[in-house]
Amino acid sequence: MARLAVTMALALAACGQPPAQATDGDAQAGRSLIARFDCGVCHTIPGIAGARGKVGPSLDGFAERAYIAGSLPNRPRVLMDWVRRAPEMAPNTAMPPFPFTDREALDVAAYLYTLR
Amino acid sequence: MTSYPNPLPRPKEELAELERVWQPPSGFGIVTAVNNTYIGIYYVGTAVLFFLLAGILALLMRVQLALPENDFLAQDAYNQVFTMHGTIMMFLFAVPAVEAMAVYLLPNMQAARDLPFPRLSAYAFWAYAVGGLFFFCSLLFGVAPDGGWFMYPPLTSYQHSPGIGADFWLLGIGFIEISAIAGAIEIAVGVLRTRAPGMTLDKLPVYCWAMLIFAGMIIFGFPAVILCTALLEIERAFHWPFFIAEKGGDPLLWQHLFWFFGHPEVYIIFLPAAGFVSMIVPTMAQVPLVGYRWVVLALIATGFVAFGVWVHHMFATGIPALSLGFFSAASMAVSVPSGVQVFAWIATIAKGRLRLSVPSLFTLGFLAIFTLGGLTGVMVAIVPFDWQVHDTFFVVAHFHYVLIGGMVFPMFAAFYYWIPTASTRPLSETLGRWFFGLMFVGFNVTFFPMHIMGLLGMPRRVWTYPAEMGWGWLNLLATAGAALMTAGVLVFLADLLRNFRPFGDRNAGNVWNAGTLEWLPNGNYASRSIPSVASRDPLWDQPHLAKDVEAGRYYLPGAPTGKRETIVTSPIDAQPQYLLQMPGPSWPTVLAAWSTAVFFLMLTVKLYWLSIIPGLAAVAFVIRWLWETDPGYYHPPVDVGGGVVLPVYATGPVSHSWWAMIVLILVIGSIFACLVFAYLFLWTVSPDVWPAATGLPLPDLVWPLASAGLLGLSSVVIALGGRALARSWHWLVRGAVLVAVPLPGLALWAELLGQWRTGLRAPDSGYAAVVYMAGALQGTLVVVVAIMALYTLARSLCGLLDARRRATYDNTMLLWHYAVGQGLVGLALVHVTPRLLG
Amino acid sequence: MSPHQQQSTLAAQGPAADAIATLWWVMLGASAVILLAVIGLITFAIAAPPERRRWLASSRIVIAGGIVFPVVILSTLLSWSLWATRGLVARPSAALRIEVVGEQWWWRVTYLDDTGRPSVVTANEIHVPVGVPVTLVLTTADVIHSFWVPSLAGKLDMIPGHENRMYLRADSRGVYRGQCAEYCGGAHALMAFYVVALPPEAFEDWLTAQARPAPEPADDFLRRGRELFLSTGCGACHTVRGTAATGVIGPDLTHVGSRTSLAAGILANNQGTLAGWIAAAQHIKPGNRMPSFNVVSGEELRAIAAWLESLR
Repeated sequence: MARLAVTMALALAACGQPPAQATDGDAQAGRSLIARFDCGVCHTIPGIAGARGKVGPSLDGFAERAYIAGSLPNRPRVLMDWVRRAPEMAPNTAMPPFPFTDREALDVAAYLYTLR
Repeated sequence: MTSYPNPLPRPKEELAELERVWQPPSGFGIVTAVNNTYIGIYYVGTAVLFFLLAGILALLMRVQLALPENDFLAQDAYNQVFTMHGTIMMFLFAVPAVEAMAVYLLPNMQAARDLPFPRLSAYAFWAYAVGGLFFFCSLLFGVAPDGGWFMYPPLTSYQHSPGIGADFWLLGIGFIEISAIAGAIEIAVGVLRTRAPGMTLDKLPVYCWAMLIFAGMIIFGFPAVILCTALLEIERAFHWPFFIAEKGGDPLLWQHLFWFFGHPEVYIIFLPAAGFVSMIVPTMAQVPLVGYRWVVLALIATGFVAFGVWVHHMFATGIPALSLGFFSAASMAVSVPSGVQVFAWIATIAKGRLRLSVPSLFTLGFLAIFTLGGLTGVMVAIVPFDWQVHDTFFVVAHFHYVLIGGMVFPMFAAFYYWIPTASTRPLSETLGRWFFGLMFVGFNVTFFPMHIMGLLGMPRRVWTYPAEMGWGWLNLLATAGAALMTAGVLVFLADLLRNFRPFGDRNAGNVWNAGTLEWLPNGNYASRSIPSVASRDPLWDQPHLAKDVEAGRYYLPGAPTGKRETIVTSPIDAQPQYLLQMPGPSWPTVLAAWSTAVFFLMLTVKLYWLSIIPGLAAVAFVIRWLWETDPGYYHPPVDVGGGVVLPVYATGPVSHSWWAMIVLILVIGSIFACLVFAYLFLWTVSPDVWPAATGLPLPDLVWPLASAGLLGLSSVVIALGGRALARSWHWLVRGAVLVAVPLPGLALWAELLGQWRTGLRAPDSGYAAVVYMAGALQGTLVVVVAIMALYTLARSLCGLLDARRRATYDNTMLLWHYAVGQGLVGLALVHVTPRLLG
Repeated sequence: MSPHQQQSTLAAQGPAADAIATLWWVMLGASAVILLAVIGLITFAIAAPPERRRWLASSRIVIAGGIVFPVVILSTLLSWSLWATRGLVARPSAALRIEVVGEQWWWRVTYLDDTGRPSVVTANEIHVPVGVPVTLVLTTADVIHSFWVPSLAGKLDMIPGHENRMYLRADSRGVYRGQCAEYCGGAHALMAFYVVALPPEAFEDWLTAQARPAPEPADDFLRRGRELFLSTGCGACHTVRGTAATGVIGPDLTHVGSRTSLAAGILANNQGTLAGWIAAAQHIKPGNRMPSFNVVSGEELRAIAAWLESLR
């Protein structure tokens, strides 16, 4: 129940945001974070050398993806939380939490939204 | 004017008869052609095909490496591709290409009508072409070898490479080495025994010298790789632990044997190319080569020193400092002869006036690239520097500079230079310039950055690299260069397509105004008559030579015995000795080669029982082919002109076949010498598996003594048979052969039984493996001499053997005595050595 | 992928690499001069007026340029190189001994104490004290590998049946990347490692920490991770000192969370890469001996990864 509440709150918070592709993050900084954390071990990510992971979903065309992890609306705020606290949002996920700062999460999201 | 050997006018039917005798087969029979002008061109064409195939593999690698963490080729595919690229370039392109050029060029350059064993050339070619294509096809089925072109065990042995990829390499390459050796025997005997009268050794074209030394290096170098591929294949198939450290083998044994072949191999490839350059430069500058004697000395010196540098491939294996110092110095010394040649070419250019046609451009490109490759070669000879750059892209850059610079550029120079002797028109000067420009720029853009990659830490044989390493832009540049080279090769192919018209009765003629004999007017029979030579550049020194030769004024202007003939000359001063009748087109030869290739293919894919069929077929076809090759003395001596009357048959030391047998014995002896080395080497690294340490008894001396006795007896019987043959006591000869045939086999059986009874089993230890391997080598030789003896017997029964027509018996006897000698030395090795060392 | 560190022969950080880099720069200079001279001579031989190039066209030039000059230059180079690198083969009495075993496709690293017994076992990462020579004892468990850290020293092969010794000194603090240099099959390209040079005191602290058994899990999730690690059978191949996992086929994971990288220098080390490696080891490094484990739930995978990351 508590989890549902979190999800709802996040979803509501997202409603007031500008469209996804207009995030303020620095996509290039996000790209180097993705490379440094080797997100490509699990995900196929266009634009990242060697990111051909097949553990999780491919992030090709992520900007146009409707749901994150098949359950969460794809909004910048949700995404920023997802990359930091995925297990709290979807307890069964294999995706671990990552210790990104707010700024870093914003940058990572910015890069992912460049993937059309 | 001196008087000519033969007066004009020549009888009308003489030329027609010459043409009839040398008429190439037509229709499907074209594959049975044995004439060097045909086999040479097939052979060069096939080598170029493999160059293109391996070049495509190189392109695939360059695409994969163009970007960091690229996935154009997966790991397994990349590992197969780099292994096949190196292997094909070294074994299926470089060595066959230079042998092929020799098959085509040598007879003409020496004004012989053909090489002395035309069917052997055909066999070597077909075995190589069919076997090579089988080998390449392994890649299409994903079962190609992936152990790298030097196939280091234990990676390539049965535990770590269980599939058939490594077997493809070992059997495929082992087989193609046999073809290379066949070619080398042909070339050695050809250069020494079939020259134009008067072409003494000091008038021999430099190219022929280069090929003579080339052949010598193959004869002593290839046996090492034949032995080590055999050892590894036996280790894989039967688990005899030659290279397995836990059982007293040593992976370094492979490295010593492989590089004892592998480094001379580089010079085996380079010397013929240097020979090309020493022919092209004087013609293009229109002056004789400056420092001919120094160049020849340099070639000979290279041939020797090249065998003393193999350890520089092993500087990082942890071998003792003292031997590092020796091999470092030797590796530097080997660059001196190359320096001599470079300065001889510069001096020649300075003496004359260089015509900047396509052959000259490729030669100049060669000089620049090869000099740089030589300089980096000196760098890697410095041991500590090699510790850093060994197995990196720096070394990749270095050896492409010496191999492409030192062999491929001269080869393209040679194509543009000599194609007018084979084609009705020369290649295009315009397309050739484009070709050269693209190749020269493309080559340097591809390979120069690799020096830097290596210094920046990029190892070779990596299918991917992290983006952060900073090697990306260099790799991208290299790939761009490879695209330029590809464009260049396409231009060359277009030029061939447009302008290469071989197999015509006419050729473009002496377009460069060259001085050597391959530029005489030629037909399938080579030159109409065989000139006598008084200088190194006869066409320059005797202005009317070409016309006189074509008119038939010189020796052997026809085909007086109605067969293909050439004049056999003495090895040093080229005095005519006898007229050799040569065999013509032959199906059995071609079928023998195809059967041999199929036999090896079946062994590779482990169809052992089925392989017996092509194996026996190959032996049968070889015997059928040889049956016609000892034609006998039925024809009376022939007057070839100028009062020179030559016998039409020869036996003993004057015969060309006797020389070939001696060369073959040198090859077999070198294989055996490598086994002796392996035995002693394994003892030095693992004395703990030798009898003195294991307590396993040595066989009782009665066994080797019985074995030695049987061997000795067989030699005596064969020798007595030879005496009987001289008196035409045919039944005694046949009896002697029959008595002798089983004796070496019995001797081997006694030796092996003695070993077996002590409880020694080959898979137990490196010691056991090498002891039984001595037996296996002897066994192979025993089978061969037995087949030869029975063949001799069959000829005797058919009345083809008598007191004068006895080359078959003499050559069999020669190999027989050698086999007995090797058996005796082998017995001493495995029985006396452990008792002394114990 | 992993943090970028120097792997260059030209960025020398130790006496061995330094001497060789000097050798290189001198040889480069000499070679450039010789190459240009040869090209110049060829151009001169082609283009100069015949009477001015006539001196070139003699056997004397062949002997002078082809024999005398190279013999002088090469003898000089050989003697100088022997002198300049004389220290490289001399054997300092290095107290610290580290055994490195090459395996397909990773590096087993064992620190030996004064009595020659193993004190610390780790993988793919070698910590050394700055300024102190160490002895590396190099062997292999399977095929031939070659140990190479270009910024510190040249390479030395690891050959079955042979034990090679390398003497190494890092002159400044840093992380130096190394890589297998002898082709060793399949994933040869993915067999890297790091040498971490620390000040001597920091090195001692590191060694002491590494000698301890694995820390106890700090919370239930990590405890669950440990249980899953053991129940899934990871201990058949891996050792985690202080637990029932005592396998010796794969790397010792006692302090895996403290390492710079995963999977022999090819991945960053975090919960995500740990989880991804466990789930898809065969996809990431084809042919290596670790199977891809996708038999546990996503949450369980996270638990194992989290516990491994906590092993610092």
